[in-house]
Amino acid sequence: MDFLDEIESCVPALRRYARALTRNADRADDLVQDCLERAIRKRGLFRPTGPLQAWLFRILVNLWRNSLRSERRRGEHVAYDALVVEPSIPAPQHGRLALGEMNRALDRLPDDQRETLLLVVLEGVSYQEAATILGIPIGTVMSRLSRARAALRALTGSGDEPRLRTVK
Amino acid sequence: MTPGPASIPEDDLHAYVDGLLPPARAAEVEAWLAGHPEKAAEVEHWQRQNEALIALYPPVAPDSIPDRLRPRQLALKPRGVTLDWPQLAAAAVLILALGAGAGWALRDFDRPHGSTGLIASAVTAHALYVKENRHAVEVAAADRDHLVSWLSNRVARSITPPDLTPEGFELVGGRLLPPAYDDGTTGPAAQLMYQNAANDRVTVYITAAVPGEKNAYQFTSRETLDAFYWSNDRITCTVVGSLPEEEMKAVAKKIYTQLTWRPDGGAESWRS
Repeated sequence: MDFLDEIESCVPALRRYARALTRNADRADDLVQDCLERAIRKRGLFRPTGPLQAWLFRILVNLWRNSLRSERRRGEHVAYDALVVEPSIPAPQHGRLALGEMNRALDRLPDDQRETLLLVVLEGVSYQEAATILGIPIGTVMSRLSRARAALRALTGSGDEPRLRTVK
Repeated sequence: MTPGPASIPEDDLHAYVDGLLPPARAAEVEAWLAGHPEKAAEVEHWQRQNEALIALYPPVAPDSIPDRLRPRQLALKPRGVTLDWPQLAAAAVLILALGAGAGWALRDFDRPHGSTGLIASAVTAHALYVKENRHAVEVAAADRDHLVSWLSNRVARSITPPDLTPEGFELVGGRLLPPAYDDGTTGPAAQLMYQNAANDRVTVYITAAVPGEKNAYQFTSRETLDAFYWSNDRITCTVVGSLPEEEMKAVAKKIYTQLTWRPDGGAESWRS
């Protein structure tokens, strides 16, 4: 498979992760486009023995971190898509988490925990791969994951009791 | 019941939730959880979290990729500032030297759009047709008179295929291609194809001049292909190939010299 085809095969996964990070479909595609352009430009530096997908994710994550940083500096607020979430989501069934609530909880996670959790859950990468992509030790991946899950559990209001949600 | 392990490290509980454990270990964890309801409730909540995240951000269909995210399209785009920097720097120096009144000098640098689309079309057409064997050209070189009159008519410029015999290239033939822009900026294009004994192919993509476009010269590399573009008041021409650099330059120069030859003033000089 040629380099560009190989990149193309990674695009759906990159878009999914970007959507979850940015929570804005246009912004997600901007981020992916940036990532692809950079990858195509830098391909000379890429050793084809390494996994291409991990390399692309790493570029994407770095671009995302940079854009978060510069937004914070400029104090910009970025609109999330009123998302996917509210209208189309059916009322939570017993034992399920309400998606709107989950999305708001996700919002309140620190960036580093969110990027780690989403990478592991959505992309199904191993913890070692996640460590490579995020440029952190595997122990840090585990502790972020653990803190993220504990925080989400607290934020979605669930204690130890399985909880029946009442929906208006 | 087999006595399970006394405790399971938290890392393994996460790996269990994320489906990253080998089946035997996953079964062990499951058995252990059955005897530890408190941990089991926590782990179950994690699983619910995963389900919710996946429901919020489902996989993206591969067939819904917009063009702007197609690597092939992106690879054809000019490489932005990195490529233009020397040109911009040259323009800046020129302006400083000539003063603000020399702002016109920027015009050449300021409007890459005419050439950008033409070069992209030339490269795309090259990549598409050099792979063909029987259908590489519409009209073969054997029918040269017809080829010349047909293409000259359609492109509205007299086109005499350059002679590249000294460089070892024979004319294979040519074809007509649709305009690079659909807004009428340019007319249709003629593509001439040449081939040497090693079966290397070079194409020459010619259109009538873009109105208002100054003389321009440009060299770009896209993927494995090199493209030399130039334009004058009569035509635009893009030479595309993947020859070694020196050979590519020699061929491009030869084509340039022949296509810009005028009965009155001789050929324009080649800028290398």
